Amino acid sequence: MFASIVSYGLAVGAVYALIGITYNVMFSASRVFSFTAGMLGMLGGVLGALFINKMGMNAVLAFVLVMAAGAVLGVITEILTVRPVLKSIEQHLYVLSTLAFALMVQQVTAIEWGTEAQPFPVLIPIDPNSALGLVDQKFWLPVLACIVTIVGLELLYRKTLIGRAFLAIAEDSYAARALGLPETRLRLASYAIAGVIGALAGFTGAQMLLAYFGNQAILNFYGFVPVALGGMGSNRGAVIGGIALGLFQQAANFLVGGIFASVAVFAVFIVVLLLRPEGLAGAATARRV
Amino acid sequence: MTDAASPMSTAKAPGGLLGRLEGSWSWIALGLIGLLLPLLDDSYFGVIAQRAYIYWILSAGLNLVVGYAGQIAIGWVAMLTLGAYTTAALAAGRVGGVEWHPYLALIAGGAMGAVFGVIVGLPALRLRTFYFAMTTLGFATIVTQVALAWKDVTGGGVGTPGPVFPWPFEPGWGFYYFCFILAALATWITANIGSSRYGRALVAIRDAEVAAEASGIAKPKLLILIFLLAGGLGGIAGGLFSSLQSYITPDAFTFEMSVLFFIGILIGGRGSILGPALGTIILTVLPEFAAPLVQWSTFLYAALLLVIVLVIPGGIADLLDYKNRRPLTQHREIVPRPELLSRILGAKGEPSAIRLANIALYFGGVRAIDGLDLEIRSGEVHGLIGPNGSGKTTTLNVISGYYRPNTGTMKLNGTDLPFDKPHTRANYRIARTFQTPRLVGAASVLENVMIGGTAHGHGTFAESMLSLPRHHRDEKQLKDAAMQVLATVGLESLAAVRADRLQHSELRFMEIARALMLRPAFLLLDEPAAGLSAEEIRRLGALIKAISREGTGVLLVEHHADLIFDICDRVTVLNLGKTLAAGTPAEIRSHREVVSAYLGA
Amino acid sequence: MPTSAPRSRTHEPLLEVSGLSAGYGKIGVLNGIDFTVGPGEVVALLGPNGAGKSTLLKAISGLLPRTGRVTFAGQDMSKADPGDTVRAGLVHVVEGHRVFTQLSVIDNVMLAGYGLPREKRTAQVEEALAFFPDIAAKRHDRAVTLSGGQQQMLAVAQGLVRRPRLLMLDEPSAGLSPVLVDRVLAAVARLREGGTAVLLVEQLIEKALAASDRVYALARGSIVLEASTGEGDLPNRLERAYFGQDAHAPLA
Repeated sequence: MFASIVSYGLAVGAVYALIGITYNVMFSASRVFSFTAGMLGMLGGVLGALFINKMGMNAVLAFVLVMAAGAVLGVITEILTVRPVLKSIEQHLYVLSTLAFALMVQQVTAIEWGTEAQPFPVLIPIDPNSALGLVDQKFWLPVLACIVTIVGLELLYRKTLIGRAFLAIAEDSYAARALGLPETRLRLASYAIAGVIGALAGFTGAQMLLAYFGNQAILNFYGFVPVALGGMGSNRGAVIGGIALGLFQQAANFLVGGIFASVAVFAVFIVVLLLRPEGLAGAATARRV
Repeated sequence: MTDAASPMSTAKAPGGLLGRLEGSWSWIALGLIGLLLPLLDDSYFGVIAQRAYIYWILSAGLNLVVGYAGQIAIGWVAMLTLGAYTTAALAAGRVGGVEWHPYLALIAGGAMGAVFGVIVGLPALRLRTFYFAMTTLGFATIVTQVALAWKDVTGGGVGTPGPVFPWPFEPGWGFYYFCFILAALATWITANIGSSRYGRALVAIRDAEVAAEASGIAKPKLLILIFLLAGGLGGIAGGLFSSLQSYITPDAFTFEMSVLFFIGILIGGRGSILGPALGTIILTVLPEFAAPLVQWSTFLYAALLLVIVLVIPGGIADLLDYKNRRPLTQHREIVPRPELLSRILGAKGEPSAIRLANIALYFGGVRAIDGLDLEIRSGEVHGLIGPNGSGKTTTLNVISGYYRPNTGTMKLNGTDLPFDKPHTRANYRIARTFQTPRLVGAASVLENVMIGGTAHGHGTFAESMLSLPRHHRDEKQLKDAAMQVLATVGLESLAAVRADRLQHSELRFMEIARALMLRPAFLLLDEPAAGLSAEEIRRLGALIKAISREGTGVLLVEHHADLIFDICDRVTVLNLGKTLAAGTPAEIRSHREVVSAYLGA
Repeated sequence: MPTSAPRSRTHEPLLEVSGLSAGYGKIGVLNGIDFTVGPGEVVALLGPNGAGKSTLLKAISGLLPRTGRVTFAGQDMSKADPGDTVRAGLVHVVEGHRVFTQLSVIDNVMLAGYGLPREKRTAQVEEALAFFPDIAAKRHDRAVTLSGGQQQMLAVAQGLVRRPRLLMLDEPSAGLSPVLVDRVLAAVARLREGGTAVLLVEQLIEKALAASDRVYALARGSIVLEASTGEGDLPNRLERAYFGQDAHAPLA
């Protein structure tokens, strides 16, 4: 059962980490948190099940389509709910606009797809008796996705000019704009990337989490905890936080049962935030006056 | 604050109980409908109406949290859950084997809500908006899960019956009137708070936090009171809910419900009581009359929220605000009347002084202030000038308590002024203005200025809540003082106008008016002339000079050399955080080093 | 360094601003500004704090919304954003040496060439770095390791990548030691020799005058003085312009 805790913990932790990275990528591009991170994760699973199980597509095609859908939803988030409120003096409207949009999507899913959790197909046909079949793919798929994402982002940020443009905007969007960088287009691209990452989290995690509209709320919260603990914008923090959260949750689940595990996670979340509002790795707040 | 609780309306509306609710006709209409509904003897309408009353009781409290204080508490359904289960479990005797009387159980439900309201609300004091919203969501989930798991008390997934209230509030029309009365009470209480200095203080915290602090408003205490009240109301609503439903299970308390409350308030408009009431009623009643829509109701609410946020952030209240759409006169002049100052500032006290000694403040490796001595004396205008980055505004921020220096002392007549506590300055009658005007855009000019006098009120929160005489005396005094101050700075004709409709120069004078409400012994002005025309600067100068002649010590941080040389008694020149020169304006003007520093060499 | 266009023989202004007004929200700062910069000229823009010098540059480069006309090299730039002005050859180096501290020196300079074809970008980046050999030597170091003065030079290098016809520098001397200030002004002189026009906002009057052909003084949102740097009595006239009418003691 130790193995079970570790494998579930790592796998679900990887999903949380990826959602945390989704939050972070959107935040770095716009200095705004969006309620659509969980939505993307949920849709990764639901759309995948829809394409493969209900529409009979093969896994690869479905994967591509789901990633594309994630990108599109990311773009819609930016255009519809973030860009219009960035200019406003009313600082916190983005919380409401992204919440509203995410809720709309969740409701459509609940109505059209149903409120029951539906099974997600096995993606890669592997003989369970072979060497590769030792560990169930529902465990290593999310972990692999997480690794690929991190490596991919690193390559993007370090090796491509556009990646460095993302970093520039995240650090100082005013200077980036003055330099002539196309801020709006780059922000759109960031949101598209975030959409893909969120969808990836949901798609690879769905064998565990199933295709369930309620995953949105779950992932919204548990995907945010790594961000809060690891510091806003810090992907490294999100990964560490996510994995730690996943393992802690599974261990608590096993030791004291589901309800107390949730309470424990929530308590840790609150306590850490109250002690260090900027997260364990975050920076101090800016001047107010 | 646009309508229902605006104190301006008390001038016109009938006095007494209904006096402070503008849109009184709307409330009277609602009240009549509520009173007379039982005559229809349709139990279906009755149930819908009871549900609307119950939701409104919770929303009235949440309105203070979300609408007035601006805290995005999305997961507030948790209070309903807590109240419902507390009342039901106690009344059914599931706790300690004793069956509580329903009324006591209801009060206990309210108490539970109040306690947890504070617990959930406390993080709001430390956390960013999105983080706080998330914690309320997490809390709501936890509560539901506890309800599922704690079978002994809550009945777990199977649920538990709700209490049955005895005559005269028995199920049916009796209980209907019970909910109606409590809803009316909730409206009255929250409207009282909304139109009191507490309501204004909440809105100030929401929209202009630093200005609120400078006016002496202590955020923690006020927010805790509001969360207490809102939680209590939510808990009572929960208790009533458990009775109405007659049987509750955890899945009755959905996230969608939280959204409904929240959206009702935002659709109605922040800073209003009537708007959210209408919003909540509409959202409760609508699905009943559009049966095919029931399934899509949450979707439609969310879509409506999105539209509101993008198109009319002010909600219904803004749409109904006809007063503030009347055009204003185009070319308005600000004509201050300094001769009125003596009435406001009162008798000159003993001469006093603020003395800074050897203040140093480092930001990282940068020495923003590097060993500064400064003295501000009563009855003097002391100018503080210097190139960009010389530390002028930083010094002002240290004096007004927003920054803690690394070394040095700051004393007012020998007593140390506390660092890092800006909201205490009001007690010392040290007032200030800001480099960019901080205001509550949605409130009237008069209300904005009244915020400045919050610290001088005597009535307690409870007295405001219950509309007791001392609260009214406070309000009258505050309002009179604010009108006087507005007349002094020359803005009284704009008293009822929404502050965000004012020109920039008028806002600068409004800030001074707000500062004068403290009857300041010391007034700290941060670049008040920026953006003013030459004539306005002259009038500003005359006003400042007159203020100092009444005995107030003025610190004037400025770029406009002419204003400085015109009205200052003494001038200190800063450069790179250190005093470059200090003396009379004439001495400074011909001081070679000063001129060089300004012109660069 | 080579510019994108040869120095014009006619005296058509390169940059022409007329009736420009701008501010921040409700706060109006600039009031109907008119001025010009000719091709290959170095123009100094002086004035006390709060006069609106930075605001003026931001209004020209499109960082701030404004009313009035801005024409650059014959093109109407009234609706341009910073990307457009950069592509037209008008580059704005903002005040405060705001470089990207988490990126390396070479990355900082490369970003200034974002949008250029790769080979052109690499070549022009090298040209720009050649202006500041000290910075070039630290090309792989993160910008956070540079001193304030070096960061300022890096910021100017960023401005040079696009081979601008007009480079606007906002207080490049701020926080720099005199030696470094001279370095930056030497770069301005080199640019002038190469035919690049420079609009220089400065606090250090004497050095600015020494480096410029013409000077404007801005005070309280309006131009209060325009002169060639060869004219006499400039320091006095400037002081009067800064402080308003009452100039008591002469400087010299």
